[in-house]
Amino acid sequence: MKPYYLILFWSFFILPQWVFAQAESHDFLRNTGKIYVVVGVVLILFLGIIIYLVRLERKIRKIENLLNNE
Amino acid sequence: MIRLKWWQWLTVFILAYVILAGFLIPLKPGIYSYTPQRVKGGQVIIIDIHTYNTRLLSSTDHSAYLKYEDYHLSADGIDIHSANHLAARFNIPGVLPEDSKSIRASIIINNPVDGYFLYPDALFIEGSELSPTIPGPRWEKGDMPALSKNNAFRFPYRHILYETIRNTFFHVAIWMAMFLILIVSLFYSFKYLTAGDLVYDQLSSSYTGVAIVYGTIGLATGSLWAKYTWGTFWTSDIKLNMTAVAMLIYIAYWVLRASIKAVDSRARISAVYNIFAFAALIPLVFVVPRLTDSLHPGNGGNPALGGEDLDNTLRAVFYPAIAGLALLGHWMAHLTFRMKRIREKIESAN
Repeated sequence: MKPYYLILFWSFFILPQWVFAQAESHDFLRNTGKIYVVVGVVLILFLGIIIYLVRLERKIRKIENLLNNE
Repeated sequence: MIRLKWWQWLTVFILAYVILAGFLIPLKPGIYSYTPQRVKGGQVIIIDIHTYNTRLLSSTDHSAYLKYEDYHLSADGIDIHSANHLAARFNIPGVLPEDSKSIRASIIINNPVDGYFLYPDALFIEGSELSPTIPGPRWEKGDMPALSKNNAFRFPYRHILYETIRNTFFHVAIWMAMFLILIVSLFYSFKYLTAGDLVYDQLSSSYTGVAIVYGTIGLATGSLWAKYTWGTFWTSDIKLNMTAVAMLIYIAYWVLRASIKAVDSRARISAVYNIFAFAALIPLVFVVPRLTDSLHPGNGGNPALGGEDLDNTLRAVFYPAIAGLALLGHWMAHLTFRMKRIREKIESAN
């Protein structure tokens, strides 16, 4: 596993769990003035843009394949 | 050094500002909860109050009031338990202002450090049979004693919303950015129909693609926000359903494009469709929700974004957020446009 995959893995799976473990409340998202709802909203926004970029990446790869086949 | 155009740097800068300011500027102080919720007049009661974002221990000069229309009642004593917890003792007369049977009084807390803050229409007070001739505290009519003001740059504190008022910069702003992007797309559709150059079709469809992504993000973020303010992921709120309809119209645009193989007719039909879709979107999202009840601000008799829902502190982040997300959308659309341009060149060369 390359090091940056490891960093990605950390930031997506381990970090949130570590943060969630800090919260003792039953309903994590309602904690501290519902600030984690805002975090969730920003994550969805980020994810939406990433999905757009991944789709664009796939289309560009198809074009690259076209070029290579010539 | 990465070579970016000035507006791309501007996008990065604005979005960094929006995320930093949007998360780091604290909320104004406010009252989080109070017990008891309802009391009977003619007795001394102690109200236990939990506050939010306050520094009660930093001040010694506290005052608390109950307020009903022109009348107010001062607290006899205040005990500070912690920075965000206090108890106020009120000697509530049996006779309520203007001989009302029951009232809802606002709770106001005031100190020089936090300024004053309140819970509107909070405490439910019932009148009691005590005769008005019995001497005791009375509701005072007229101006309140001078309250301290704290003019620190902070976002408004709203009940139920609390910190989620920051979603204005993300959920609301992405809708506004989507409209700006759709207007650009509409412009290029007109341009295609008048000039007939395929470049305009590629531009128009790229912008619409980003707008659909933004709209989907808008629905998903709104759904999460609704869960924690209105109680469910999807309410039968008119604005939600009409927006979903508008989104389906735009998704149909994508299906329509994919179904036509001939380049010219695909461009012409989708340009016309895009104009009609925009013409349907405006009444669906802006007009219909105003005609009936809606939970959204600015609809069904709710005040529009304004007043305390969007004060100047929120504006200072909200407007840049719209600009930043619109610029980011422009950037994304432009990448897709360039990809389409290259693909067309390669396909025509083959």
